[in-house]
Amino acid sequence: MKNKLNEMIIQAEKSIMSCKTYNDVLDVKAKYLGKKSDFNDLMQELKNLPNEEKPLFGKLINEAKQEISKLIDEKREELEKSKINDLLKAQAIDISLPGRDFTLGHKHVLTKTVEEIEDIFVGLGYEIKEGPEIESDLYNFEMLNLPKDHPAREMQDSFYITEEILMRTHTSPVQVRSLLANAERKPMKIICPGVVYRKDDDDQTHSHQFMQVEALVVDELTTLADLKGTLLLIAKKLFGENREIRLRPSYFPFTEPSVEVDVSCFKCNGKGCSMCKSTGWIEILGAGMVNNNVLQAAGYDPMKYQGFALGMGIERIAMLKYGIEDIRLLYTNDLRFNSQF
Amino acid sequence: MKISLNWLNTYFKNKLDGFDLVKKFNLMSQEVSSFEKLLDINGLVIGHVKSMEKHENADKLNVCQVDVGNEILQIICGAPNVDVNQKVIVAKVGAVLPGDFKIKKAKIRGVESFGMICSLQELGIQEFDSDEKGIYVLESDASCGENPLQYLGLDDFVLELDLTANRSDLLSYRGVAYDVACMLDLDIEFRKVKVDREPKENPVSIYTQTKDSSVYYGQVLEGVKVKDSPYWLKSRLIASGIRPINNVVDITNYVMLEYGQPLHAFDYEKIKSDRIIVREAITGEKITTLDGEERTLLDGDIVITDGEKPIALAGVMGGLDTEIDNSSTTILLESAIFNPVKVRKTANRLNLKSESSSRFEKGIDYQETLNALNYACSLLVELADAKVIGNPSFYNNINSKKKTIKLSLDKINSITGYAFTVEVVEDIFRRLRFSYKYRNDQYIITVPSRRPMDSYQDIIEEIVRINGYDKIPVSLPITPTQGGLNHKQSVIRQIRNYFVGKGLSETKTYSLVSLELATLFDQEESETIRILNPLTKEREYLRHSILPSLMGVLSYNKARKIDDVLLFEIANTYFKNGEKLKLAALISGKINNSTWQKMNCEIDFYYIKGLLETLFKELGITEYSFELSKETLPQLHPGISALVKVNDQVCGFLGKIHPETEIKIGLKDIFVMEIDLSNILNRNQTNVLGYKEISKYPSVNRDLAIWLDKNISAKEVVSVIKEVGNKTLNSVEIFDVYYDEEKSNLKSIALSLEFSSFDRTLETKEVDNQINKITDALNNKLNAKLRG
Ligand SMILES: [Zn+2]
Repeated sequence: MKNKLNEMIIQAEKSIMSCKTYNDVLDVKAKYLGKKSDFNDLMQELKNLPNEEKPLFGKLINEAKQEISKLIDEKREELEKSKINDLLKAQAIDISLPGRDFTLGHKHVLTKTVEEIEDIFVGLGYEIKEGPEIESDLYNFEMLNLPKDHPAREMQDSFYITEEILMRTHTSPVQVRSLLANAERKPMKIICPGVVYRKDDDDQTHSHQFMQVEALVVDELTTLADLKGTLLLIAKKLFGENREIRLRPSYFPFTEPSVEVDVSCFKCNGKGCSMCKSTGWIEILGAGMVNNNVLQAAGYDPMKYQGFALGMGIERIAMLKYGIEDIRLLYTNDLRFNSQF
Repeated sequence: MKISLNWLNTYFKNKLDGFDLVKKFNLMSQEVSSFEKLLDINGLVIGHVKSMEKHENADKLNVCQVDVGNEILQIICGAPNVDVNQKVIVAKVGAVLPGDFKIKKAKIRGVESFGMICSLQELGIQEFDSDEKGIYVLESDASCGENPLQYLGLDDFVLELDLTANRSDLLSYRGVAYDVACMLDLDIEFRKVKVDREPKENPVSIYTQTKDSSVYYGQVLEGVKVKDSPYWLKSRLIASGIRPINNVVDITNYVMLEYGQPLHAFDYEKIKSDRIIVREAITGEKITTLDGEERTLLDGDIVITDGEKPIALAGVMGGLDTEIDNSSTTILLESAIFNPVKVRKTANRLNLKSESSSRFEKGIDYQETLNALNYACSLLVELADAKVIGNPSFYNNINSKKKTIKLSLDKINSITGYAFTVEVVEDIFRRLRFSYKYRNDQYIITVPSRRPMDSYQDIIEEIVRINGYDKIPVSLPITPTQGGLNHKQSVIRQIRNYFVGKGLSETKTYSLVSLELATLFDQEESETIRILNPLTKEREYLRHSILPSLMGVLSYNKARKIDDVLLFEIANTYFKNGEKLKLAALISGKINNSTWQKMNCEIDFYYIKGLLETLFKELGITEYSFELSKETLPQLHPGISALVKVNDQVCGFLGKIHPETEIKIGLKDIFVMEIDLSNILNRNQTNVLGYKEISKYPSVNRDLAIWLDKNISAKEVVSVIKEVGNKTLNSVEIFDVYYDEEKSNLKSIALSLEFSSFDRTLETKEVDNQINKITDALNNKLNAKLRG
């Protein structure tokens, strides 16, 4: 009996090993473990055995069944795996072919530059203020210490709509409006980005329409040193950590003292190159301490309040940052240009 | 302002280092726009023409033997005025003249030539002698072999300053000298002026009838010989950018440059009276100015008159009738101050800007008015043999009370953030030559008339610039404030990011356009805003719509073979009642376009509509609708366009460009939208925080296909379904529209309906009931039949 069982296991193992398909496995399973399998005959024989031998042989039969069942399961698993492997092999593709082409949109480089500047100032606690592009002479000039007969008005040839209304020549009127609106005299830190207009013929460096960002801080404490620190921080954020700045005396009617701000050349690191005209410095913006006349015009007591203002041309910053040499490219909207940013 | 370094050096004991000066000006005063040699020519020598004979093969050429000090050079010269014994300017072999003209050893028709005898024109300084007839002949005292530029005073450097409006003091050499002395901490030496006067009565009397001239000095000089100025005077004027004319004119210009006080010389014999009356012009009055133009005056102009007629436009230009000419012998020299604003207005109106008018416009130091006149007199005596007749006649209504400004050290430090000390501040005052007193912890500074100042801020500016901006420390404002983008600014960024994510590129176009483009997309007649002084017709009106500009960008790019153009812009548009921020988009071509994998998508009406609907979803706008509008969108295809409504208010439109326009511009299938963002951005942000509950029970989907009249819109079908459906009807989506050729007046719409409940799993019967109700309603209301 024992021999018979061993013989069966060996036979079964052989048949299982020779199985090529899942169906072959099922046949083998039917033969050894099905209702008409050889085990059934053995079970009949078991009935004829003396009672004391029954348990031992019963156990042996079960063990043999389990052994065969295990072999069958293993074979089945092996066959399934190889089937999936075949399938995977058949499905394999050439991953070196290109991906699908999604149209990529682009923000305008001026928008990118404005947003970059906005984010720097927002991080420093500034609010963003906006105002109309069609302005009154009062806000655009007079309240900014540029009375009607001021010679500096000629620096800013303007587009007039009536004698008293014009296209704003800078975003400074937004500063005036913000000061006027701040009746509580809360400490104010704002930036004013926007479109401005000057009556210049369009050429490589001039555009009758352009963008500015101006910043204004007014409280009881802000100093020229705070202006210098702010300017240094902006220069580093915009043009790189290793930048230095240099202030030079200048003149704007709305600030006093006024300065031009140079940043150390980021192309040659100050050694001198064509970009900085061999000076090592590049002029990037104008700034100064708010002129008392401006504070006074907005109803502030200049003996109590003080602060600074700065203003930069977005086109200039963008052109410097990206090496753009003709301002007209920024308004032509050639998609081969716009899509590079 | 152009500054001759030679001239500037006359005020100082030691010669200035030009390059150091440039650095100092840039960092402490005014930007230097250029610093260069007046004439950058090497290899010039003074030569003496020893002998001369005709060229054997050329009539008009002479062969000269020229002594250049250490050698005799044979030089062929073609100038008609060359002659033996002349002292001339020789460019030796190797010299390079302006225009990259290299002097080489040459053989001219068989005869060798070693250099060139130069004309002023060849040296690039024709203005040195405007009567030049050929080569330039020097005075006989010139010595051979020396540098002719040095001899003529032209071996100079010119420093050009870019002056800001607050530094009119730098419009004179004396002002520049003060600034240089301050920056470099030097002493200044101004020459003493002494005038020899004839002991006679100055015959002219001077009056004013206007407040616009505060001071006027007039001096008559006799025996004047009008001739060329000496070399030094000519070269200093040339270096300062002024063309020499004759000694009288040159002296007035020279003195103006020295003091900043413009002068004018009249031919006194041509003035019809002995009276000078300054007054306001009478409108319509006429004067012919020195340039020969007859000018019609207005009552704001100030004129110098002989008591009757104007003889000069004050501060702007003299009259032709009293012009100095070569035969003038008696002159009246004027040194006066006129109202800066009036001078500017007159000069601007008549387009007569000059060195004089620009100085009057910026303000004159009244303390130099008489000094300038006296210096000019002494020069006229010296250089024009003039006799000064008595003392100047004048009126002087100047209020010479000195202005003072108070400023404390604390104020200086609390504004600058730098710790100035008394010693530093007082040393700077000394260098600035500002006189001051110190009382009650405050400096009381007397403002010098040469440096007009308004407030302590001006004084602080002086202190900081002389101390150096590099010494100011760096810090940041310490007052706490809260920054950030407001709702509107965030939404605009969100919209931009959305469109960029959808493959559209942002443009920046001009607000100023032509009248036609400004109103092209107007839905109704609406006034435009016009610029009074436009640059061109193309930039004359403020636009009502961004789309015409986007159409321009489309044409530009299509012409450059860019087929897929997807654009958007957010910009202001301008109306009589205010500015409106609009969003415009234009798409033409394909999206995701590549031949590989063919995933590209043709753009149609539903694409641009979906683009907007998805944006509304992104912005949380649910109350929107689209309406057909046949009459009001003339630029759009009447059957493929719609008005966009948000909260039941029209806020824009979208659709396909009208085929007529497409044909006109040679492009097709252009889809556009334009939305007025003001309503959207100003929407209440009372969005209650929270979310919509998701049902735990499974939903049931049913598809429905119906036939109906093809003119019934999908919107009507959906609204009928939503009306009948109960609250278990979650959503209605259209997934197909189908037209059958045999049923030409019908269309088939396929819809997908989703049902679900929050409290139970829906039973089939319940859903069946809903569907029956819906199909009945579709049948009754729209005559829609189920598709079999
Ligand atoms: Zn550089």
